[in-house]
Amino acid sequence: MSSVRGRGRNLEIAVDRALAAAAEELHEHFADRPDFYRGSRAVANLGALEPSADELAAFRDALAGHGVALDGVRGGETVAPVAAELQLAYLGTTDGDVAVLPRHRPAREVRLSDQARSLVADFAGAREDMVRRRRDGGGVHAGGAAVAMAGVAIPPPARMVPVGLSTLYHRGTLRGGQAMHNLGNLVVIGDVNPGAELVASGDIVVFGALRGVAHAGAQGDRNARVIALELEPTQLRIATVIATSSERGKQRGPEHASIVGDRIVVVPFADADLRKESV
Amino acid sequence: MAARRIVVTSGKGGVGKTTTTANVGAALAQRGHRVVLVDADIGLRNLDLVLGVEKRIVFDLVEVVEGRCQLRQALIKDKRIENLAILPAAQTRDKTAVSELQFADVVTQLGELCDYVLIDCPAGIEHGFRNAIAGATEAVVVTTPEVSAIRDADRVIGKLRERGLSLRVIVNRIRPEMVRSGDMLSVDDVTDILSAELLGIVPDDAEIIDTTNRGEPVVLNVESRLAAIYTKIARRLEGEVVPFTALNPPGFFERIFGKAG
Amino acid sequence: MLHDVIPQEAAAPDAPAKPRGRAIVVTSGKGGVGKTTTTANVGAALAAAGASVVLVDADVGLRNLDIVMGLEARVRHHVLDVLENKATLDEALVTDKRVPQLKLLAAAQTREKDDVDTAAFRALIDSLRSRFDYVLIDCPAGIEMGFANAIVGADEAIVVCTPEVSAVRDADRVVGLLGDTRKVHLIVNRLRPELVRKGKMLSVEDVNAILRLPLLGIIADAPDVIVSTNKGEPVALDAASPVGSAYRAIAERISGARTDAPAIPRERSFFDKLFGSR
Repeated sequence: MSSVRGRGRNLEIAVDRALAAAAEELHEHFADRPDFYRGSRAVANLGALEPSADELAAFRDALAGHGVALDGVRGGETVAPVAAELQLAYLGTTDGDVAVLPRHRPAREVRLSDQARSLVADFAGAREDMVRRRRDGGGVHAGGAAVAMAGVAIPPPARMVPVGLSTLYHRGTLRGGQAMHNLGNLVVIGDVNPGAELVASGDIVVFGALRGVAHAGAQGDRNARVIALELEPTQLRIATVIATSSERGKQRGPEHASIVGDRIVVVPFADADLRKESV
Repeated sequence: MAARRIVVTSGKGGVGKTTTTANVGAALAQRGHRVVLVDADIGLRNLDLVLGVEKRIVFDLVEVVEGRCQLRQALIKDKRIENLAILPAAQTRDKTAVSELQFADVVTQLGELCDYVLIDCPAGIEHGFRNAIAGATEAVVVTTPEVSAIRDADRVIGKLRERGLSLRVIVNRIRPEMVRSGDMLSVDDVTDILSAELLGIVPDDAEIIDTTNRGEPVVLNVESRLAAIYTKIARRLEGEVVPFTALNPPGFFERIFGKAG
Repeated sequence: MLHDVIPQEAAAPDAPAKPRGRAIVVTSGKGGVGKTTTTANVGAALAAAGASVVLVDADVGLRNLDIVMGLEARVRHHVLDVLENKATLDEALVTDKRVPQLKLLAAAQTREKDDVDTAAFRALIDSLRSRFDYVLIDCPAGIEMGFANAIVGADEAIVVCTPEVSAVRDADRVVGLLGDTRKVHLIVNRLRPELVRKGKMLSVEDVNAILRLPLLGIIADAPDVIVSTNKGEPVALDAASPVGSAYRAIAERISGARTDAPAIPRERSFFDKLFGSR
C-alpha cells in the first residue's frame, strides 16, 4: 500500500507496487481532498522498484494532474539514470522504513465560536434518556436540549433527478409535501416549509427560512453544507448524520451547518469555514 | 399472541381521531401494554405532530412498504411513555402510494411485535380510509354531537359493518351546558341515532389544543380530567365494565373564574 | 339569405356579454375547520348583498352543505344526477328559503367520489359560471380524488385554517397543490384571543408566517355557530351575530366592496361571559 507523508511543506510518497497501480491508488487519495495537495512538491520513495523511464514519466504526470510536482526520487542504484533522464533529482537509497500515516490529515483543532451549538446524538439512546429523566426527576417535555442522531444509515432517496452534477435553482417557497431532489447542489430562493423535503448530493442553500427536512451530501459526502437565512429545520441530515434541535423562534441570522467530527455543528454564517474540506 | 388491531375512524374530519388515537394509545401503554400507533394519513400526516416526534422521523410507512427499510427501523419509540411507538406516514407522497393489501400486511407484521395496533384513519371514505380499515379487526368511531358529524359517522358505520368489523363509538367534545340548554345533542341521542355501543364520552376542553400544539399527549398530565377519561376508555377496551361519569356543566363560579375548559 | 338563420342571441352584437361568474373553491386539507360553514355563510352573505350565488357541495358520500343550509328536506336531485343526465340542473338546484338569489347543488350521499367524472364536473362548473355571479365549491377534507375534482374549474381558492399546528400543516400542503395559477386567500377560523394571549394557541401571525397568504378574514370561535349549523340557519343572515358580521365583511372583501385588512377579534369581556352574550 502506498502512502503519503508530509515533511514540512513537501510530500514523501512511498511506493510499494508497480507505479501504474500506485498512481491509481494515489489518484483516489488525492481526489478526496484535491485542493489540499495542490501546489505541493513531492519526493517518491521507490523502494526496490526498478521502473523504466516511461513508467516513471507517467507517474510524474499522474501526480502533476493533481497539482503535485515530483522533484526527486529515492531508490536502488538502477533508478539513478532513469531519474536523470527525466531531470528528477536522485536522492539516494531509502533511509529506513517509511511510516504509513493514517489517510486523513493530522487532527486540526476546531475552534467554535461562542454561539456555535452542538447537536448531541440521542436517537438510539431514547430509553437511557427516559431512565435518566426519571432518575433526575426531569419534566416530561423534551425541551431545551438539542437532539441529534449519529450513525443512522439513510438509503439514497428513491427519485434522484439525473441532471448531472449541477446546481438546481428554484425561486419560490416550497410547501409541505413538496420535495426537490438533485444530483449536485440545491439553491432555493424562498422558504422551505415544514413537511417539505430537500435532498442533494452536494450542498443546500436556502435564501429564506428552512423549516422542513434538508439532506445534503445525500450520497455520502460528509463535506456538504447546509446554509440558510433562517435555519430552523425539522431535521437536518448531512451524509449519514442526522440532527434536529428544539430551539424555536429566536432570531439568529444566517447560519451554516456542517459535520465536525461525528456531529453536525451549526455556526453563524459569518464564522463559517467555507473551505472545501474541514472534516 | 397477535395484537388487537383497532382502526380509529370517523368520516367527518376534525372530530378528534388523531388526538383520540394518540391518547388512547398512550393510556394503554401506561397500563403496561405494548402499543404501536400507525398513521394512515399519507400526505397529510399529523399523528407525529400530536405526539411530538416529528423531528425524529427518519423512515416512514411508505418506505417500509417499498422495502427501503425494515419495519423496526421506521418505528419511533416515545421518549416519555414506555411501550409506546409510532409508525409515521409519509408527507411527500399520497395515499395511492400504498395498496390495501400492502397496508394490511404492514399491520399484520406490527401485530407480531405488540399487544395493540391503533390505526389513525384519514378523514373521508376514499382510498386512505379503505387502506386504514384493511388492516383492522375492530373499529372505534369518533364523532362529535353535531348533525353533520353524526351523519358522516353513520355512513362510516355502514361501511365498517359491511366489512364485519366490530365497533364502538366515542362521543367527543361534548359541552354539557349546551346539552342542558337543548343546543346540543346528548350522548344518548347520538348512540340512539347510530345504534352503536358507547366506548367513551370526552368533554370539550381547551387543554387539548395546547397539549396538541406542544406535542404532548394529555394523559401525561396525571391531574388532568381528560387523562382520567382516556384511561377509562383504555380500561373499557381491555374489557372492563367502567361506568360513565356524569358530566356536569361547569358551575356558576367556575364559569366566572374560568376554571372548566 | 344568411340573416334568416342567425339565432336570436347573436342578433345583438353590440350588447355586452355577461361577465362570467367567479368560481371559488373553499378548501383546507384538514377536516373540521369550517369549510362547509364558511361556504354556506360567505355564500349567504354575498347573496344577501344582491349577487346571484350557487353553492356546490363536492363532498360526494359525505354531504353536509345541505344540512348547514337547512335545506336537506328539499333536495330532490344531486350533482351526480346532473352529471349523469338523470336530472337537469334546474331540477337539482334548490333555492334557499330566506334568500332567493342563493341556490344549492347538493352532493350525492350514497355514492363515492370516484364516481365523479372530472371533465364533466369541470364543464358543470363552467356552465354554472355563465348563470351565476359566484359559484362557491365546498371541498371535501383531504387531498385525494374528491379534492382534485373540487378544485378543477375554480381559478380562485379560499383556504380555511384554524390556529392549530396540524391545520396549518395540512393547509400548507393544499396551498402547494393549488399551484401558482390560482388566486388563493386565507380565512383564519375559530380564533380564541384569550388563549392566544396566554400563549396556549397560535396567533394569526404564527399561522401566516407559514402560509403567507392574503388574509380575507379572521373569525373568532363562538358557540352560536354550532347552534346555527345544527338548526340550518347561517349566522351570516343574523344581524346581531358578531361571527355573522365577520362573514359579511369577508363577502365584501371578496366582492371588492371593502378593501380593509381584517381585524383581530377582541376577547370576550367579563360581562359577555357572565351574561352569555355572543
